Amino acid sequence: MPEDGSLRIGVYVCSCGANIGSVISPAAVADYAARLDDVVLTRDNLYMCGDPGQNQISRDIIDYRLNRVVIAACSVRMHEPTFRTCVAQAGLNPFLMEMVNIREQDTWVHAHDPAGALVKAKELVSAAVAKVRHVQPLQPIEVPVTKKAMVIGGGVAGISAALDLGDMGIKTYLVEREQSIGGTMAQLNKTFPTMDCSI
Amino acid sequence: MVDAARHPQVEIISYAEVDRVDGYIGNFRVQVTKKPRYVKMDLCTGCGECAAVCPIEVPNDFELGLAPRKAIDVPHGQSVPLIYAIDMDHCIHCYQCVTACGKRDAIDFGMEPEVLDLEVGSIIMATGFDNFDPTVIPEYGFGRYPNVITAMEMERLANSAGPTVGKLMRPSDGRVPKSLAIIQCVGSRDKRFNEYCSGFCCMYAIKNAMLLKQADHEMDISIYYMDIRTPSKGYEEFYNRAREMGIRFIHGRPSQISQDPETHNLIVLAEDQEIGEVIELETDMVMLSAAAIPRLDTDEMASKLALSRSPSGFFMEYHPKLRPVDSPTDGVFLAGAAQGPKDIPASVAQGSAAASRAARVLSQDTWEIEPVIASVNAELCISAQGKKCGLCAKACPYGAITVEVGQPAVITAAKCHGCGGCAAECPHNAITQDHFTDAQMVAQLDALLADKPEEKIIAFMCHWCSYGGADNAGTSHFEYPASSRGLRVMCSARMDEDFVLEAFRRGAGMVLVSGCHPQDCHYITGQQVAAKRFSRMERLLQRVGINPERFRLEWISAAEGDKYARVITEMDAKLKSFDREALLAETLAARPIIGKRLARWKASPLMAGLVPLEATEEVLA
Ligand SMILES: Cc1cc2nc3c(=O)[nH]c(=O)nc-3n(C[C@H](O)[C@H](O)[C@H](O)COP(=O)(O)OP(=O)(O)OC[C@H]3O[C@@H](n4cnc5c(N)ncnc54)[C@H](O)[C@@H]3O)c2cc1C
Ligand code: SF4
Repeated sequence: MPEDGSLRIGVYVCSCGANIGSVISPAAVADYAARLDDVVLTRDNLYMCGDPGQNQISRDIIDYRLNRVVIAACSVRMHEPTFRTCVAQAGLNPFLMEMVNIREQDTWVHAHDPAGALVKAKELVSAAVAKVRHVQPLQPIEVPVTKKAMVIGGGVAGISAALDLGDMGIKTYLVEREQSIGGTMAQLNKTFPTMDCSI
Repeated sequence: MVDAARHPQVEIISYAEVDRVDGYIGNFRVQVTKKPRYVKMDLCTGCGECAAVCPIEVPNDFELGLAPRKAIDVPHGQSVPLIYAIDMDHCIHCYQCVTACGKRDAIDFGMEPEVLDLEVGSIIMATGFDNFDPTVIPEYGFGRYPNVITAMEMERLANSAGPTVGKLMRPSDGRVPKSLAIIQCVGSRDKRFNEYCSGFCCMYAIKNAMLLKQADHEMDISIYYMDIRTPSKGYEEFYNRAREMGIRFIHGRPSQISQDPETHNLIVLAEDQEIGEVIELETDMVMLSAAAIPRLDTDEMASKLALSRSPSGFFMEYHPKLRPVDSPTDGVFLAGAAQGPKDIPASVAQGSAAASRAARVLSQDTWEIEPVIASVNAELCISAQGKKCGLCAKACPYGAITVEVGQPAVITAAKCHGCGGCAAECPHNAITQDHFTDAQMVAQLDALLADKPEEKIIAFMCHWCSYGGADNAGTSHFEYPASSRGLRVMCSARMDEDFVLEAFRRGAGMVLVSGCHPQDCHYITGQQVAAKRFSRMERLLQRVGINPERFRLEWISAAEGDKYARVITEMDAKLKSFDREALLAETLAARPIIGKRLARWKASPLMAGLVPLEATEEVLA
């Protein structure tokens, strides 16, 4: 945060090509966000996750001294890691970035109610802006890694996984419930597509 | 198979079960129990002299019961490891095997199960699939008509290492069949059983037809299909070859198979959609291409590893497009048919993919995990004041919290998985969860309910399941009314009753609390903590004067997009059915009562930095 401790929030609204942009106007959401307290910069972009989109965010964090970022785009399950990395590269703690899901949970489910979808997008953005006013930087916890693997199930999938891990020098336990590994494949006659024997 | 046994880095632990899995990415502890074989692994040479003298014969599961095995045996000659085991359910303790084993002394009737505690950094689930049992389709007569067999039985009967040494014979009379009807999609693509396509049965049906036709050009083979699905590389060409060989393809799903009681021949009745006529065909034998189904113990394994299931029942990947090999649990990956029906080339490819995803972790010395954990405010914890409490420790599924009277509760960061259950359970607001703090939650409610709150549905969602369900509704484009406003936390255990009350106090029309199904919980028992808490909600709402019908509790998995859409649609309809003026009046009346209940919480340090709540007090008026 700047010395005076003030919040400088940047809000980005993604169009996701036509996925969001064909239902609501990302610019309208951005305009709305611009009027929220502590928001110093808003932008909309065709593909926030693309290189130009990410570069824009990184540059803005530096140029506008943003200390909080809100990205209205797709699901956190899709691109939270992407945007966390993006803001971290510009020196912002990744936990000072919050995503708003205006695709899976908005435009994709309210395609026939664009007005309702727009109000929802604005309010969800406003909630994220409200949240980031209270977020704190967090430091990732480093844990040690035991350099061994376990594969549960010794069919053809498990065997190939275990062999690859083994070839990489990783000690691998291949746990099989039956007396023998092999799974269904071991029971097969000749197998397509090569018509050779299965074992 | 043999390669795995020979690989210096691969240790096969066969005839074993995974009992439990603890820990987290980079640091899993797995308890595995090796079932007793009653044969010492290091002394057995696999010579088979024991089985030769064993007087007891039992059906061999590997041969699907089509051939016997001895009470001491291996499933088949190529077994890896080639080590015998005694089936104690059938052994009569005649000890002839011990005599036959002689000086090798490999047999040990006193053997006990062996429990192993293994530490690993990553786990790959490759437990495969089971086969659909066609006896549940009575019109096909499987189990009643001896000459109706499954595709798996065909694999054994046509196998030169199988019970008939590769000579296909009719089970009823041992005669070599001159004709065969193959029925596709048995239990697949059938809403009564499994909606999905099993993927590989078209190809194995064609394979078996071609092999039989090659052996006997005169054989009359018909394949009854709904669609022939051969999308992989070279598969369509394979199918074309079968047509050129004179294998008949009939477009239609048979409605009935009956048996001639004299000859045990079968009469297949089907509508051929190509010519639009019902045809009746007499055949010597029928093979059913039965569906690939999820392993029967999928639920049990899913709860051991905190995995979820797709609507088809197979293990669910983290993201169908971008992370198809990852499971929802960090450090656990999926390979092969366990994730959905897959043929051998695809299973091998996914096995390699899973190995490389796992190696991404295992090639590092350390791994960064999310710092979203809970912490205790020592001043507010009443245990520090000498009072008995410990509710937080009781809610923690990981034993990460220790409470000693006279001391504030202590949370071990490395053990905390960040469900947030303790933060919601603590009646004294002494615990906070990073990144999902009470202040952050209330700030969001404040924003979401700033305008026309009475028209809104506040939907609390857990990250792993119901938020995933809402995403799934999105990817499936299941539309629902735009009145809901989602609020994500990691686990339903984090959803505090106070959040719900606060939403109503601010005038929300409806509130949904949604989380995973009990067996899917990402935090072992987090959902149970939430379920218990919210079972009291109805009474609580009545007490503060809110109609309990304005509250709903639902368990929605990441695969249940349809359910998420339905729940919101129903809640929206219910909300619209209320009289608006009455709803506003109810909220206004309940407001001071809830306000009083929440006063201490609002004044707690957890709320530091929030805009004074009274500032929003006019919203409803
Ligand atoms: C009739 C038939 C014919 C087929 N023909 C062909 C063909 O010609 N060509 C082709 O490409 N594909 C064919 N397939 C498909 C092929 O069988 C699968 O692609 C393959 O078996 C998938 O391998 P897998 O390792 O994922 O699973 P599986 O083969 O099912 O192996 C899973 C293994 O995990 C073990 N296991 C399960 N649960 C546990 C547990 N809890 N703990 C420990 N171990 C466990 C099982 O015992 C088994 O050994 C055929 C399938 C059928 C049914
Ligand atoms: S692979 Fe072919 S037979 Fe199997 S379910 Fe799919 S369409 Fe039916």
